Amino acid sequence: MPLILTDEEQALAESVRKFVADRSPLTSLRQLIASGEPYDADVWKQLTTQLGLAGFTIPESYGGVGAGYSALSVALTELGAGLVASPLLGCALAAEVLLRLDDHEARADLLPKIAGGELIATLAVASSAGGRVTASGSPVGPTLTGTVSPVLNGAEASVLLVAAEVDGATGLYLVDAGADGLTATRLTAVDHSRSLARITLVQTPARLLAGDAVAALSAAQDLANLALASESAGAMRACLDMTSNYAKIRVAFGQPIGAFQAVKHRLADMEKSWELGYAALRDAARAGDREPGRFGPAASVARVLLATAYAEAVVDTVQLHGGIGFTWEHDAHLYYKNGLSNKVLLGGPGDQLDRLADSLGI
Amino acid sequence: MSDDFRARARAWLAVNAPRRSAGDDEGAAGPTTIAAQKAFQASLYDAGFAGLTWPKEYGGQGLTGLEQIVWSQETRDFDLPNGAFFIGISMPGNTILEVGSEAQKKRYLPPMLRGEEIWCQLFSEPGAGSDVASLQTSAVRDGDEWVLNGQKVWTSGAQYSDFGAIIARTDPTKPKHSGISMFIVNMHAPGVTVRPLKVATGHSPFNEVFFDNVRIPADALIGEENKGWDAVVVMLRFERIAIGTMGGSRSNPLGYESLRDLAAGLGRTSEPGVRRSLAELYARSRGVGLFATLLREEAQAGRMPGARGSVAKLAGSDLARFAGTVAADVLGDQLAGFDSDELAAVTMMIVAAPGNAIAGGTSEIQRNIIGERVLGLAKDPGVDRSTPFNQLRVGTQRQN
Ligand SMILES: Cc1cc2nc3c(=O)[nH]c(=O)nc-3n(C[C@H](O)[C@H](O)[C@H](O)COP(=O)(O)OP(=O)(O)OC[C@H]3O[C@@H](n4cnc5c(N)ncnc54)[C@H](O)[C@@H]3O)c2cc1C
Repeated sequence: MPLILTDEEQALAESVRKFVADRSPLTSLRQLIASGEPYDADVWKQLTTQLGLAGFTIPESYGGVGAGYSALSVALTELGAGLVASPLLGCALAAEVLLRLDDHEARADLLPKIAGGELIATLAVASSAGGRVTASGSPVGPTLTGTVSPVLNGAEASVLLVAAEVDGATGLYLVDAGADGLTATRLTAVDHSRSLARITLVQTPARLLAGDAVAALSAAQDLANLALASESAGAMRACLDMTSNYAKIRVAFGQPIGAFQAVKHRLADMEKSWELGYAALRDAARAGDREPGRFGPAASVARVLLATAYAEAVVDTVQLHGGIGFTWEHDAHLYYKNGLSNKVLLGGPGDQLDRLADSLGI
Repeated sequence: MSDDFRARARAWLAVNAPRRSAGDDEGAAGPTTIAAQKAFQASLYDAGFAGLTWPKEYGGQGLTGLEQIVWSQETRDFDLPNGAFFIGISMPGNTILEVGSEAQKKRYLPPMLRGEEIWCQLFSEPGAGSDVASLQTSAVRDGDEWVLNGQKVWTSGAQYSDFGAIIARTDPTKPKHSGISMFIVNMHAPGVTVRPLKVATGHSPFNEVFFDNVRIPADALIGEENKGWDAVVVMLRFERIAIGTMGGSRSNPLGYESLRDLAAGLGRTSEPGVRRSLAELYARSRGVGLFATLLREEAQAGRMPGARGSVAKLAGSDLARFAGTVAADVLGDQLAGFDSDELAAVTMMIVAAPGNAIAGGTSEIQRNIIGERVLGLAKDPGVDRSTPFNQLRVGTQRQN
């Protein structure tokens, strides 16, 4: 299967791009910043009902559209380019975990609602610095205690899939957002397009989901890598286009600034890193659908290349715009913050390189 | 269809293609090695694997980019011993195919593919490298012939080449890009002198070549008189794509697989920093390799890579440089002194790595091209396209 987009994928990219331009331009992110809302509920509704995005990786038998990883990646690339705030990533990770586990009841109950955009679910896994949750038995079933932070859309989700330790083993637990002892505190997110929360659990009743939690979490990590790589690819392209356009119109010393090699060569390097990252992203997206055995390392490669390149590109974007690029009114800082966040969220480059080294058997 | 091709290629390679032994360097190839390379190229041709996308009437296979992609995938595990033909086929060969005359195509293309004639590229001069349009070698018309005088430098493979594609000034009163023509020159002609030059590794892969009243026939002109720059642009485009999509073979001492094995042998793979360096090398090599695949797929779909070949070229040089730093991480102080062939091969590649960022157009020039022709930024100030050549200052010399 070729890496280049199929006609269908091309059409999908165009329709999502048009949707973003019409319904969620960067000005609407600024409205969210002003209102404090985590995302625009109307936009989310259209993304799920009109475009069916929340069901892309969910099979039709569970109410999804089963479009696959590559289609999801194509859509996320466009949403990333427009910094569209939505609970899509959290939902996709929760759905992935449910599909990989063996809990038929939870699947049948939750997946159709996630696919339809009626239910916001998320995955709560503590990173090494982000807390710890333990489970313990009780006469009426297990309870969870501990904290996890940051959790994608943790304050908006009505269902959380929480990874917790019991006797040194990891399990995945289904927790209702309204359950006793659960507190969700919204964090100040550096990236205005993400809503993140700290989840605190104190003897919170939970249901242990049947299936191999470690394998399910690993699959979720692969999907997270693909998703963040996709968003970063879109956003980085937007930075590159914005900055090269500016370099054509801004004049200094009698020349468009793009004529100066200090400017031109940085943009050329940005173009180079983007091209390599994008090729790796297409490979990961194809592997996800066609060669599951290769998906893990391919997604790590795409994530490592793009998250790193994007994080550098956002700094160059500010720099090459000069003073105007450092203002609140200019869009550069919106990308700058997104780039900072995308690099570290759900496992930064160091973690990804360790994970890649593991899968390569180094 | 391409599955059939894949099976055929795989079967043939398994039987016929040797894996290159460490320390072999095409630049150091002596006469026996050249004979072996010619024989291998001939066997490739006989088996139907030479000139995959070239038309049948010029000795090619008339296949599509799809087979080319399959071939590059299947050959990754091998080091085909026909490196001496790389320049000829991918640069002068493709250029003749695109802008040469019918007679030139018929005469010169099939022998290249059959492994009979080796070619070199005679562009750079002491005073004209990045700014190759400043060249001073001259070609003056004399009846049915042209008379060549001047000096070329850094000419890879000139020592064993039969023909060269040379650019020379045919009108010094025109601006520098407008008075150049491209010719085919027989490297065995009277008046051609090839002198080897030694590079940093101690090998002599390239040469300086002197032309002293070398007479070439009028029909050796590629394209039109004084329109040689158009042919130069075509050849440089092929060159960047060819170098950029060449890909590293698994046996490359600076490749991920080799360095991983080297680190394991030295007992260093348990160190977190070394593990991460190796994983990053893997990731970056994948990026470069996959981009080459993407370019080929796009070409197959009718979208030509154009100036994006420069992205591939730049990425390849940067990767070699990065691999050098990873190798240094892996080797530690073993890099400073060693007495094994394996370490000698790695160190040789680290020493050779900077050459990648110079040969085929420097990385700075690639960045200019990417900036100007991919991103559409303004040209560098001061690139002179209007002053007559004989009034310009060139290279490290002065003109009056
Ligand atoms: C291994 C090897 C093999 C080669 N094989 C061949 C061959 O087969 N045939 C052939 O014709 N040539 C060959 N070359 C020559 C090669 O193409 C030239 O060396 C190269 O184009 C640079 O030219 P130069 O050496 O004159 O350096 P210069 O052009 O003098 O460059 C010196 C420095 O100035 C920089 N520079 C120059 N102009 C600019 C600019 N506009 N903007 C920014 N920086 C600039 C360069 O990047 C470089 O860093 C080979 C070179 C090597 C190293």
